[in-house]
Amino acid sequence: MKTTWPIILLGLVAPALAAEDAGRQDGLAWLTKMANASRRLNYSGTFVYQHADRIETSRIAHFVNPAGGEFEKLETLDGPAREVIRTNDQVTCYLPDTKTVIIEKRSARRFPVLLPEQLSGVADNYVVSVTGMDRVAGYDCQVVVLEPKDKLRYGHQFCAETGSALPLRARTLSEKNQLLESFAFTELKIGGSFNRDQDKSRYAAKSRNWKVDHSALVLSDVPTDTGWTLTSQPAGFRKLTELKRSIAGRTVMVSHIVYSDGLAAVSVFIEPLPKTRPAQQSLSHQGAVTIYVRPVADHMVTVLGETPAATVMQIANSLEFRGGRGK
Amino acid sequence: MDKISQWMDGELSGHETQNQITRVKQDAELHRSWGLFHLIGDVMRGERALSQDFEQRVAVRLAREPAVLAPRHRVASRFTTYALSAAASLSAVALVGWLAFFNNPLVPQPGIAQAPATPPPAAVPSEQLASVPSDGKMNEYLIAHQEFSPSTEIQGLAPYIRGVSSSRQVEGR
Repeated sequence: MKTTWPIILLGLVAPALAAEDAGRQDGLAWLTKMANASRRLNYSGTFVYQHADRIETSRIAHFVNPAGGEFEKLETLDGPAREVIRTNDQVTCYLPDTKTVIIEKRSARRFPVLLPEQLSGVADNYVVSVTGMDRVAGYDCQVVVLEPKDKLRYGHQFCAETGSALPLRARTLSEKNQLLESFAFTELKIGGSFNRDQDKSRYAAKSRNWKVDHSALVLSDVPTDTGWTLTSQPAGFRKLTELKRSIAGRTVMVSHIVYSDGLAAVSVFIEPLPKTRPAQQSLSHQGAVTIYVRPVADHMVTVLGETPAATVMQIANSLEFRGGRGK
Repeated sequence: MDKISQWMDGELSGHETQNQITRVKQDAELHRSWGLFHLIGDVMRGERALSQDFEQRVAVRLAREPAVLAPRHRVASRFTTYALSAAASLSAVALVGWLAFFNNPLVPQPGIAQAPATPPPAAVPSEQLASVPSDGKMNEYLIAHQEFSPSTEIQGLAPYIRGVSSSRQVEGR
C-alpha cells in the first residue's frame, strides 16, 4: 500500500503530465510521500520556525496508535508557554498565561491529502523538480522544489528524509526569492512507540479551573451555498469548499470559502460588520500568510492565504453577494 | 463495541488495549467490522481509489434499500459507533458527512480547473496599501484556514505554530 499508492496517483494524473518530464513526476511522487509520512509515522523532535527576523523553537511529537488513531503534541520552547494537542480530529490549545483552554474540531480529515486533481493543480501551477540532496537534523534529505509559474503564488522548497519521506524542512520563498518563512527540524527521532502519556498535556491537571472556550467545537462543516461568489477568480485557483462555521471568539456563524491551486490555499471569511469597529481595510502578513480585510456592503470580509498580496486582494475585491439563503 | 472506539481514540490503558487486540483477533466478525471501519477511514481520507460510479451505486442502493440508514438495530449501532470513533470521522453525522463528501465541490467538476474566461485584472494591488506584520487578531481565522490548506497537510501540525506564534507577539506587548 505504502509504495503502490504514489504510483496509482501518478497513473491517474498521467495524462496531464508530459512524458518527458520525469523530474516533475518524481517531484509529485515525493510530495505525496511527504504528506503520507507526516501523518503515518511516529516521530518526535525540535523544530525551528523562522519568519521575518524572528526565530521560534518548538517541540513536536506525532504518534499513530495500533488502532490507527492519530496524536500530536506541539509545545513552544521560548516566549510564552503554549501547548497544542491533537487527538484525531480534536485540537486542544492550552494558554497557561491567560489560564485558557481552547478546544476545536479540526475538519481537515474530510479533505484527503493531495488528491489526484490537487496534484495536477500543483503540476499546472508550479514547475516541480527534484534538485539534489541536503542534510537536516542529521538526516540526509531529498530537496524538492516548486517554482511558481506566475506571480499569484509563492515558491516552495521541501527537504524530505531519504528513507521515510518525512519533511524535515519547508521553506516558502517570495517572488524575489527571499525567504518568507521556514520550518526546519534541528533534532528528530523517527519511529518509537506510542505511549499514552505522550498525548497528555502537562497542564492536564492544572487546567481544571481554567476558562474553556468551546465556541469552535461545533463546526457545521457540511458544504453550504453561502451566496457569495467571485467575479474574477485568480488563474489556477478553484473552489475547494464553502461552508458556514463557528469561529472561536465569535458569536455569529461565519461564512468560509476556500480556494486552492493544489498547494496554496486562500480562505475567505465573511461576517456581519461589527457596529463597534470602523469599517477599514487593512493588509498584513504572518510569515508567508497574507491577510487582507475589507468591508463589502454591510459585511466584513477577511481574506488570507499563503500567497502574495495580489492574490488575496484580487479575491477580496471581486467578492460579490449573489443572494440565496446564505445571508 | 464501544471499547473499540475508545481504543481508537487512545483512551484505553495498555492493559485494556491488549484485551482489545486479543478480542479482535479472536472474534472474526469484530475483525471484519474493524477492517471495514478502517476502509471507510481510508476512503474518507482519499487513500483508496473508489470506482468511478461509486457514488451512483451508493445512491441506487440507498434508493432500493432505504433501510440502509436505519437497518436492524444491532448493525446500525455498530456502524455508528465505528463511524463516530473514526480517526477519519469529522462530525457527529458521519454518514451524512460521508455522503456529503461525494457531493463536495472538491470532487472535480467539468471545467473547474480552467482559468477564468475573462482575464484577471492586473495582478498588482490597486491601492497603495503597505503590508504590516499581523497583530495576532486574526489568530482564529489563521487556524481555521490552516486546516484546509494542502500545504498544511504536507507539514502536519507544524503550521499551527503560525497561530501560536502570532498570539505570542500580542501577549508580548
